[in-house]
Amino acid sequence: MSGLEGFALEGFALPSDVSVDGTVTIATGEGVAIVAPRVTPAWIESIVRSLAATTTPLRARPAGAIVDVLGRTGERFLDDGDDLRREALDLLPPSAGVSREMARVILDGMAADWTVPRLRHWLEAELTDPRCLDGLIDVGGRRVMAVGPALCVQVVSGSVPGVGVNALLRSLAVKAPTLLKPGFGDVVLPVLFARGLREADAELADAVAVVYWPGGSVDVERAALSGAETVVVYGSDDTVTALRALTPATARLVAYRHRIGVAVVGRGALTDARAPTAAGEVARAVAIFEQRGCVCPHVVFAEEGGKVDPPAFARLVAEALEALAEELPAAALPIDEASAVQQLRANAELMATAAVGSWHGGSEAAWTVVYDPEARATTATVGRAVRVAPIEDASSLAQELSPIGAHLQTVGVTGLGQRVTAMTEALGRTGASRVVPLHAVSFPPPWWMHDGRGGLQELVRWVELEEG
Amino acid sequence: MSRFDAMAEALEFRFRDGPTAPWSDAEFERRALDAFGHQFEACAPYGAFCARRGATPAEVATWEEVPAVPATAFKHLDLDSGGGRAPEAIFRTSGTTHGTTARGRHHVPRLELYRAACLGPFGAAVVPDGGRLPFVSLIPAPPAAPDSSLSFMVGAVADRFASETHWVVDAEGRWTDDVEDLFAARRAAGEPVALLGTALAFVHLLERAGPGSLALPEGSRVMETGGFKGVGRSTTREELHGRIAMATGIAPARIVNEYGMTELLSQLYEPVLTEGLAVKGWHAAPPWLRVRALDPSTLRGLPDGQEGILSFFDLANLGSICHVMTEDVGSVREGRVRLRGRTLGAEPRGCSRAMDELMGTVS
Repeated sequence: MSGLEGFALEGFALPSDVSVDGTVTIATGEGVAIVAPRVTPAWIESIVRSLAATTTPLRARPAGAIVDVLGRTGERFLDDGDDLRREALDLLPPSAGVSREMARVILDGMAADWTVPRLRHWLEAELTDPRCLDGLIDVGGRRVMAVGPALCVQVVSGSVPGVGVNALLRSLAVKAPTLLKPGFGDVVLPVLFARGLREADAELADAVAVVYWPGGSVDVERAALSGAETVVVYGSDDTVTALRALTPATARLVAYRHRIGVAVVGRGALTDARAPTAAGEVARAVAIFEQRGCVCPHVVFAEEGGKVDPPAFARLVAEALEALAEELPAAALPIDEASAVQQLRANAELMATAAVGSWHGGSEAAWTVVYDPEARATTATVGRAVRVAPIEDASSLAQELSPIGAHLQTVGVTGLGQRVTAMTEALGRTGASRVVPLHAVSFPPPWWMHDGRGGLQELVRWVELEEG
Repeated sequence: MSRFDAMAEALEFRFRDGPTAPWSDAEFERRALDAFGHQFEACAPYGAFCARRGATPAEVATWEEVPAVPATAFKHLDLDSGGGRAPEAIFRTSGTTHGTTARGRHHVPRLELYRAACLGPFGAAVVPDGGRLPFVSLIPAPPAAPDSSLSFMVGAVADRFASETHWVVDAEGRWTDDVEDLFAARRAAGEPVALLGTALAFVHLLERAGPGSLALPEGSRVMETGGFKGVGRSTTREELHGRIAMATGIAPARIVNEYGMTELLSQLYEPVLTEGLAVKGWHAAPPWLRVRALDPSTLRGLPDGQEGILSFFDLANLGSICHVMTEDVGSVREGRVRLRGRTLGAEPRGCSRAMDELMGTVS
């Protein structure tokens, strides 16, 4: 990324009647800096006031028309000839800590859902008839209407690129003016998206403010949250706890707190013919987002009794990660994450000599696979690293995962055959909200049950005219 | 006398010369290689680990080549090089951030070696003026926290340097005394005090105390150490020291940060009391502990000043494993360590959970 050395990225997008009151430059990795507004509580309050003024005009517009503008803007991120896509692909690697190749895969995967047909389908999937956002409609003999928040404030922490735009799409689709604080590594896409909105539809763009500030700035966060009808937080349990305390009693808090993914490979996929495919799917799910996403599998349970035994499957995953390293190179990890990986590797090596497991991945390899017979899903990894653990009977997975039920989210599956239905029921009762074929782990559809509920359903308030 | 005891006794003798006693590189090297030879034989999993890397005592020529164990290995294995001596103590890493199954355990076959390693560096950093003075400890007393290496250390230094010790926090973090009355009595006595505590304990103390109620006599000093978790998402150590200074009247140049961990029996201190504020943020190591910053991908030693993974060779760890690669990030300059400057409760990247956090929840 030497060509971008010293580059400063504009880390904000504001309604047209709000001006910046000075800026501060925040260094990221790779010599690229984010230029963020100097954020004070008073300045944030001026944004909140500006956004609040757009509530009424926004609500007067048909939901279908808003979604079309969002979709046309989103589609620009898929068009190789479009400057929004080009800029995104240039800026994602240094700002999000991913390779160029990975940036392309992530953008393609994310933006595939930002198109007009996909967004329309989403609204129908979640709300059945999106006209419920425009006024009372008849649904099964009841006259109901869905109302989005008058002001939605979304605080995203973390570095998964695309999460911020997904968050914006959700709130704007339900006509909510939105203040978004993106995660440190996810500033680029929401800022570019807001710029695209500005070019497409100034009125809609005026209902959006994207402002980066360092998480934990209590006075700023209190000011931001003070006027919200709905607060959405994506972050660690600690972040959620802190922001919950700042959320007014009158506001609703939607918390996407920390979650963990796992995978299970059943006997059916552990044949000579199928195991390499399953290992390749595990490798991709691990590599995409470099284990920073809540959908990423941290522990892969390989069922015993197949032709390919769990240690052999771990070797296949290692081979698949090695092969993938060329197609989707890993970016250098920040030192603290690299340090965690070195602990993982050295521990695995130490345990291997005690004949407890085995490990794969050379000292400088950008990936790590640990075969750990005692791995539990509590052992999350960071960077392109994964543990493989044996499980005698995949059907007992839900029981195995019960200690982390409160943090369980995605379970990637393959080779389970008919057992998948009963297992999903058991996993769901344990805490999982998403059971998905391994190959589709990384990019859930927009209408997914994100931590147990559709993203639009979380944001709307229902109103009914009762017949009496 | 066993080989372990003979080596330990010789080290205790040297440690008692204090942290400013001259240690040549050759002496450190010789003692380090001797320690490795002992640990290679005495600790079976470590010996196997080294042998698999081809790093046997016959092959290893310098202390840097001695394989380091990851600090997290103390969670998974009993790294005991006591040579058959039953551990006199098993210290455990904090239970607040790790689940019970994942708490690290440090077997200490000979507490006297630990005591000898603690006293000199503490004295040089916190009581450089010599003599005894009253201690107020926000760290639980050793009998209340028998598995805390920090409590043991404070007990040892209090025996040596305190004229009297007020233990004001019990093992569960409850205040055992009326702290404000105690501080008022210390003010009335007018004698300088040493106030010792973790960052988290200081935060709690500052929260509960009324204005002016924590002021301490001139000449008092503070030792503050680790324990960041729960301190707050955006508190920096500098801010914490500023708040301690405001409340106690003890200037930041008299607030000494101790850097230590259960996995290492030696401690490092900011020598601010003797060298002033210019060394704030730089931790001095005793001569029997060597530290390097390692390249995070190759694990090779980095030049002075570059940030990397901190790795320690601590002769006080003779009874376990001397060479420990920590999870901490920082740089080294002329043997002194600077921990990476970051907020105390910095957000992890991504929306998946860091292992320790998750373990904490599971427990």
